[in-house]
Amino acid sequence: MAAELIPAADSAGPHRLRLPAMGLAASALEEVHHALGSRDLRGNLVLESGAWPLTLPQLREIQSLLADRGLVLEGLCAVNRASLVAAAGLGLITELLQPIEASESRPTPQGDDLTIHRGTLRSGDHLQAEGSVLLLGDVNPGARISAAGHVLVWGRLRGIAHAGSGGDESARIVALRLRPLQLRIASSVALGPEDEAPAGLAEEARLVNGVIRIDPASPGWPLPT
Amino acid sequence: MTSAPARIILICSGKGGVGKTTLTANLGIALARQGATTIVLDADFGLRNLDLLLGLENRIVFTAQEVLAGSCRLEQALVKHKQEPKLALLPAGNPRMLEWLTPDDMTKIVGLLAERADYVLIDCPAGIEEGFRNAAAAAKEAIVITTPEVSAVRDADRVIGLLNIQGVKPVQLVLNRVRPRMMANQEMLAVDDVTDILALPLLGLVLEDEQVIVSTNRGEPLTLNGAASPAAQAYQNIARRLQGEDVALIDPSKERQGLRARIKRIMTKKLF
Repeated sequence: MAAELIPAADSAGPHRLRLPAMGLAASALEEVHHALGSRDLRGNLVLESGAWPLTLPQLREIQSLLADRGLVLEGLCAVNRASLVAAAGLGLITELLQPIEASESRPTPQGDDLTIHRGTLRSGDHLQAEGSVLLLGDVNPGARISAAGHVLVWGRLRGIAHAGSGGDESARIVALRLRPLQLRIASSVALGPEDEAPAGLAEEARLVNGVIRIDPASPGWPLPT
Repeated sequence: MTSAPARIILICSGKGGVGKTTLTANLGIALARQGATTIVLDADFGLRNLDLLLGLENRIVFTAQEVLAGSCRLEQALVKHKQEPKLALLPAGNPRMLEWLTPDDMTKIVGLLAERADYVLIDCPAGIEEGFRNAAAAAKEAIVITTPEVSAVRDADRVIGLLNIQGVKPVQLVLNRVRPRMMANQEMLAVDDVTDILALPLLGLVLEDEQVIVSTNRGEPLTLNGAASPAAQAYQNIARRLQGEDVALIDPSKERQGLRARIKRIMTKKLF
């Protein structure tokens, strides 16, 4: 995800420039440069820097880059307190964001909250989660695990798993050994595979064209970090 | 008895007919023969038959209910075994009892028993309802018994989950009615399949043994005479492992030849 420039809704309000999550981009200045592109905007701008640690010289560079394009850096909206202190030193309006609010501003269908459960689910147990769930243990035959988001099992899945129980079709079911009795993603249902699981290979189930498909697990963490 | 606190062990399975009562009776006798003062408590009073297996049916006068009501002393209700004086039986109630015991009652009665024994074995009723909850309330540790069948394993798994919630620890596993030949032919769940799902330490393997039926009908547990039948051996080994002795588990795959020879040997013994 690259930096986003959100033009003001009306002539009075400032434009907003949102930096992407840290670690994906080289520097804040380059991100700002990239986001401005060749667009022609005038007026005031609020920079949403999230967790980026911005020093006073860096902010000054960004300020002058914006000024070259006819934009006035009006304020800084950030999670990182040090950046806000630097911004205050430049006489900008500052606004502290709580990290949770910052994550809520990103549209993620299954929600960010992750429930971690330690221990094996035995027959008759039912673990339900609002967001995604990470189980450190097995799901035994006769047990159920369900979540509105992803279902991640660090162990053997031999019971029933339901991901995207609220209807999220992008939800996935990942397990070190994926041999469930039954799989459900959103409103689709599938029987678990009969054959032996490949040794030492985690697998994941997802919904492809309305059909639940099992593949070797993709190495990426499915949740926003 | 020793000064160490009594071990209060629940014997349960979830599913009926897998061998809870047989294990309780044989383990009780085996522990008593090894010198430990043992009391077996029949918590399955609705379908009570631990007394039958021990051959003590006709000696029961009082039950735990009368003890709790104060209409008799605990000593009067305890039924001592004829041949094994270190073993005593206490029925929790009689089958026509209308008032059910509560978990508090069980805790109270087990507390009294624990004062005068090294081992208190609680024979749990099948199922996971009130009877199970009553029996589990008083237990400190548990032995879950199951057979190599999916239904029994599934029920055992459920019970283990409930025991975990109740905080009963440690929970150990006994695998009953093992048929080595069927296991070798993969017609029966293998030992590993069962322990893989239940994830409990294996306290013992009991081989399928016709002598169990004979002994049940006679009211003389197999361990009573130190019989050499495979099941009797297994029960004695379970008792020794409970006492902390390190006894190797049998390997069902090596037991195939030996079993047939041993059964033949016992049959000849019975004939002459």
